[in-house]
Amino acid sequence: MSTTIRGSNTSKNKTIAMYLLTGSLIILFMMVFGVLMLLAQGKMMDIDPGFFYEIMTVHGTGMIGAAALSAVAVMWYFLSKYVQLSKIILITNLITFIIGVVMVLVGIFVFDFAGAWTFLYPLPAISAGGWSMTGAALYLGGMLILGIGFLLLNLDVARGIIKQYGSLGGGLGWSIVFGKEKGYGPPAAVVASTMVAIVNTTALIAGATVLIMNLINLFIPSIMIDPMLAKNLTYAFGHIFANSIIYMGVIAVYEILATYTNRPWKANRPFLIAWNCSTLFTITIYTHHLLMDFAMPKWMIIIGQVLSYANGLPVLVVTAYGALMIVYRSGIKWDIASSFMFLSMFGWVIGVVPAIIDATIVVNHVMHNTKWVPGHFHMYMGLGATAMLFGFMYYLIKVNGKEKESSVDPISFWVYIMFFIGLCGSFLYSGKVGAPRRWAEHFQEWVSYDRMGAIFGIFIVLAVLTFIIRFWNYSRSMDFKYQDKIGSDHHVA
Amino acid sequence: MCLFLVLNHFVTNLTDYVQSICDNFAEKKNEEGVLLYQTAAWYLSIILMTLITVIFITVVLKTTKRKEYDGIQKKWYRFRTLYFIILLVVFGTATYCTLQDLPFERPVYGQGENPVIVDVEAFQFGWNMSQTEFKVGEPIEFDITSSDVNHGFGIYDKDMNLVAQTQAMPEYTNTVFYTFTEPGTYQILCMEYCGIAHHLMIGEIVVTN
Repeated sequence: MSTTIRGSNTSKNKTIAMYLLTGSLIILFMMVFGVLMLLAQGKMMDIDPGFFYEIMTVHGTGMIGAAALSAVAVMWYFLSKYVQLSKIILITNLITFIIGVVMVLVGIFVFDFAGAWTFLYPLPAISAGGWSMTGAALYLGGMLILGIGFLLLNLDVARGIIKQYGSLGGGLGWSIVFGKEKGYGPPAAVVASTMVAIVNTTALIAGATVLIMNLINLFIPSIMIDPMLAKNLTYAFGHIFANSIIYMGVIAVYEILATYTNRPWKANRPFLIAWNCSTLFTITIYTHHLLMDFAMPKWMIIIGQVLSYANGLPVLVVTAYGALMIVYRSGIKWDIASSFMFLSMFGWVIGVVPAIIDATIVVNHVMHNTKWVPGHFHMYMGLGATAMLFGFMYYLIKVNGKEKESSVDPISFWVYIMFFIGLCGSFLYSGKVGAPRRWAEHFQEWVSYDRMGAIFGIFIVLAVLTFIIRFWNYSRSMDFKYQDKIGSDHHVA
Repeated sequence: MCLFLVLNHFVTNLTDYVQSICDNFAEKKNEEGVLLYQTAAWYLSIILMTLITVIFITVVLKTTKRKEYDGIQKKWYRFRTLYFIILLVVFGTATYCTLQDLPFERPVYGQGENPVIVDVEAFQFGWNMSQTEFKVGEPIEFDITSSDVNHGFGIYDKDMNLVAQTQAMPEYTNTVFYTFTEPGTYQILCMEYCGIAHHLMIGEIVVTN
């Protein structure tokens, strides 16, 4: 378990840069759509409800898709140091992503599909005159193509790990977990990638199933699905896939903080147990999206709460705790990349708090589908997952060595943090006072929080714009050979 | 043996203490309405997030001087075991307490007291309800379904606070139990996105003394 693989990096790094540019640009556009929705809810801009729900659909879908694309870049970049991966599949995934995005955009903006990212059966087929069948078919078909690309990539990750470590259990360090061997498991990047490959394959198969079932129902309405089964499949897909973004992104934290502090982040037994638990919990806790579906078996509702609580433990006790330990008295040099990595752990942990609270059945009873929900996942996504992605972009800028940090960078960084906290705070408070999410028009009681959110959102967009400009400049000047210069072997047991 | 008795005594006392906290919470909830949960969620989040912020800032401030990692690991791995146990106890207690008050469980009614059964059917974009006028203190069982797509049945009081909800699904019936404690006009808002007039799907309930 001690091989480190280095391939030819030039074209590989170009593809990684392409992934990050595509992903971050889409994230920026999705943020603009998010601001537009807040402006509409805050009655600062007049937007037709039909168009509001279209941009709501593209915002939810695009944000997760783009963040997942960028997170794949992080995983692939680091995992390819240890495992032989297929570059053809990496490129195929980018191509299917772009084809899928075009289909989704045409479905939404040309054929008015506005079924939300949840596309809850049978909404795509029963739109009450809101959109055409073509729009729904393009959206569902586009999502299916996107999903196939991601599925291929995850299967390739699993293949590479199995080839190198014997099995997926080998990638998760089972010999250490079950006490057959002592010492350390595979590199953290490998452990995390194994978990991601398992959970994402599960998610994408669930997603493909419900997408195909919806497509069949769209064209042959007499073939119907059990709506509860469809709902379970939708959330199994959406929850796990969205969750996997942070588990891919955290690989950058393991690698970059270890390099910056010159301290090893080894996969010891508690680390491996935590990642094995995360694998199990991430697949099973999606039922916390169905806590208000009282027709579900009671045990499934209760298990949704219990496992959601349990899912907080690996990050609180191992991952975030490990990040605190590794920087403590380390003499680390704080720059934008390392700051983003540390911020991401902070964002992940504080995001866990309102998430766990909302996963409590009695609380969910009065907060489900209020703006509390976007409050906690914007915290998790904005301050956690995307912070990892932006940090990784700054890391590449740094290792390329041609771009120097400018005074704009720390300003943008702090603007991003402060206004993102403000945005999440406005969402959470809106949720506390009962404002429903996914409403094109809010009652007067809730408007002031929407306005605050819109203002915070504008500043976030400006900050992200500067991150992307910096990365754009870098990608034009870089020599794409930097990975040979770095590539610490800290984690190889 | 002696240790066992001490341990048994400790566990019994702890269980009683946790039970009393849960009972107090449930009692308070009944007195002051479900808004307690929103308020508790908000303040608990603020307190915990502030605590986490303080911890992260403290660690950042202590990153300047480098020390040997082995010593740090030894010390803080030991602390981690304690921290893990504390989290287990806190999460376990919270789970035990909050699972005492499940909204889908039929409440225990008094002798001869039966709930008013209300059939609710959601449709794009409105509500069909078999009854819309109720009395304060009257236990109600809302049986909710949908004739087309997924909807959400959310009851809002006159101050636009969400007091109860469940999903409205085609082919399924979700039952939620509620007893109004205040008179007034309550609104039923759709809590699950159901199409382009989702935000207009508003019903009304009148509660009198």
